[in-house]
Amino acid sequence: MSRLVLVRREQVLRGGQPLAFGIGLMVALVVGVFLLLGSGHDPLRIYERMFEASMGSPKAWSVTLNRAVPLGLAGLAVAVAGSMGLWNIGAEGQIMAGAMGAAWVARVGGDWPALMLIAAMLGAAIVGGALLALGPAVARAHIGVNEIITTLMLNEVAIRLLQWLIHGWWKDPESQNFPLASMLADNAKLPTLFERAHVGVVLAALMIAIFGVAASRTAWGYELRVAGSAGATARYAGISLERKILTVLVLSGGVAGFAGGIELSGNSDRITENLSNGFGFAGIIVAALALMRPSGVAAVAVLFGAVQIGGQSIQTLGVSSSVSTVLQALILFGAIAAGVLSRYKVELDVADAQPLRPTRRESDTTP
Amino acid sequence: MNEASIIGLLEATVSFGALLYLAALGEMIAEKSGILNLGVEGMMAMGAVSGYVVALQTNNPWVALAAAVVAGALIGSIHGFFTVVLGAEQVVSGLSLTILGVGLAAYLGRGSVGRPPGAELVPVDWGLLSDIPWAGPVLFTQSPFVYMAVVAGCLSWFILWRTRLGLAVRAAGESASTTDAAGHSVAVIRMGAVAIGGGLAGAAGAYLTLSLTPQWQEGIVAGRGWIAVALVIFGAWRPGRVALGALLFGLTLALKTRLQTFGVEFSPILLSMLPYVLTVGVLVVISVRSRKRPSPAPAALGVAYRREER
Repeated sequence: MSRLVLVRREQVLRGGQPLAFGIGLMVALVVGVFLLLGSGHDPLRIYERMFEASMGSPKAWSVTLNRAVPLGLAGLAVAVAGSMGLWNIGAEGQIMAGAMGAAWVARVGGDWPALMLIAAMLGAAIVGGALLALGPAVARAHIGVNEIITTLMLNEVAIRLLQWLIHGWWKDPESQNFPLASMLADNAKLPTLFERAHVGVVLAALMIAIFGVAASRTAWGYELRVAGSAGATARYAGISLERKILTVLVLSGGVAGFAGGIELSGNSDRITENLSNGFGFAGIIVAALALMRPSGVAAVAVLFGAVQIGGQSIQTLGVSSSVSTVLQALILFGAIAAGVLSRYKVELDVADAQPLRPTRRESDTTP
Repeated sequence: MNEASIIGLLEATVSFGALLYLAALGEMIAEKSGILNLGVEGMMAMGAVSGYVVALQTNNPWVALAAAVVAGALIGSIHGFFTVVLGAEQVVSGLSLTILGVGLAAYLGRGSVGRPPGAELVPVDWGLLSDIPWAGPVLFTQSPFVYMAVVAGCLSWFILWRTRLGLAVRAAGESASTTDAAGHSVAVIRMGAVAIGGGLAGAAGAYLTLSLTPQWQEGIVAGRGWIAVALVIFGAWRPGRVALGALLFGLTLALKTRLQTFGVEFSPILLSMLPYVLTVGVLVVISVRSRKRPSPAPAALGVAYRREER
């Protein structure tokens, strides 16, 4: 009996990851043709519209870049943790926490000069996101609590905290019975860069660049990778794992919180519970497609932003927004598969049909 | 607060508890085999829409339920293929599955929004039992899904802890290479566990659209898939404790809409945080205690198994 097996390639295929994204996109577009035909639309016309609305003009690019900001920062947040082998699944909640921090400052300092107010808002956003990540960080560093679940759970806590604020304290007295927070003052809004794009695009790019340099060009980044891939080696080298875990997760939360602050100040009139429309979860995908490298995060975020904006634009043609959601998911699965195949090859395995007796070295058993 | 409103609360607690329990059992089985599936929300959405659409076509609730289970198992198998066969990151694949399931469900259900249900699974009448005060309305006039959840819980306990098959499943979640060496196919076990988990999540979704709130709308699962993921940890991967947790979390869901009628001045929004906060608390306790005794979590949970990389 023979079967197909995956065998690790001696060298990862060059350009494998961009190729993976391309293949994912192809898979999505092909399946999308059937979805669109199924709902009675002309696929070519829809795709043309998606491209025009996301990349066809400076204005389209400005909208796409605005969307790439939260996606890229959330992706960066996940990648910062991921560079040490940690999973921050809580970017969604940390974005909310950051936006709450920024919104609180905007309430307190409504009459401050714009520059000072915006700086304070973004600072508070970073603190907000970092605070939400602090609990999981301490628990992981000192007690060894799985950070995947704690960060995931805190997403739900953060969004409910915001709902509670909007229904109570922060409710705009002029909104009558609707649970809406007060509108942001004009001096709390980020200046425009070009067309619709706000200055947050530059701030996000700077943030990503700083982490990119820190990760690949500094001793700190090197220690992170060592700590992530070989804990024992790191300890022998005098690296404190506890402190590294703590700083990395808190930083990760801060970056996600920053995204929330920018999204509030740059893209919204007031804080709402829909402020982060799944950006935190999309960030996990962005980081995974970028192989946890800050340098890749920016590129993936722009492409992903284009798909999202294109998907929104075709709703005016009567296409359900669910089509764009499905397209995004298909890009992911296609890219995951292609990513695996850039590291592994499929071979026909003839000899190894019978299960082996336990004579071989075992590494995944616990003593 | 009168007797009728307390009975109503308990009745809702049991039915919400059963909803969470069905989905959590599926997740527990998958995790016991070593696969973390964060796609519960998406699988429930697929079950919910499949059940509703098939009920519209056939007017037969049981055919609709079967369709929901199959849909859940099929979409769950996508996660199985990616994590077991390709060895992809379980976290990434699971979250992608949630996005896919929620999106695909919205696409498939776009023509069914606002349409009256084609069929419903109506509460079971247990005759004399249903007439018992308190116990009758709370336990013996429930939707068939509640009794299915109880049966599924007992079955999964029996199979996982009292049969050789169950031993193999749990072994795959503790040490894949040992299981492989003992002559079991880790891939087949894990694929099967993820598919069954998907089927149970699909059934939970169908509970929503065939019985609890018989209608289809986008976002009908409303985060309850995440509560199911939390429940598995809260219940320390044991069917009995997961059942107790399901009732507790079910109580918070049931209380949410009733706080005001009970005259309690507490925000229902803050109350709905409770399951997540409790789960974090339990996770911390488990971790502190696991310094002295083994953690209840499957040891190989989340770790891909490739034979040549042992």
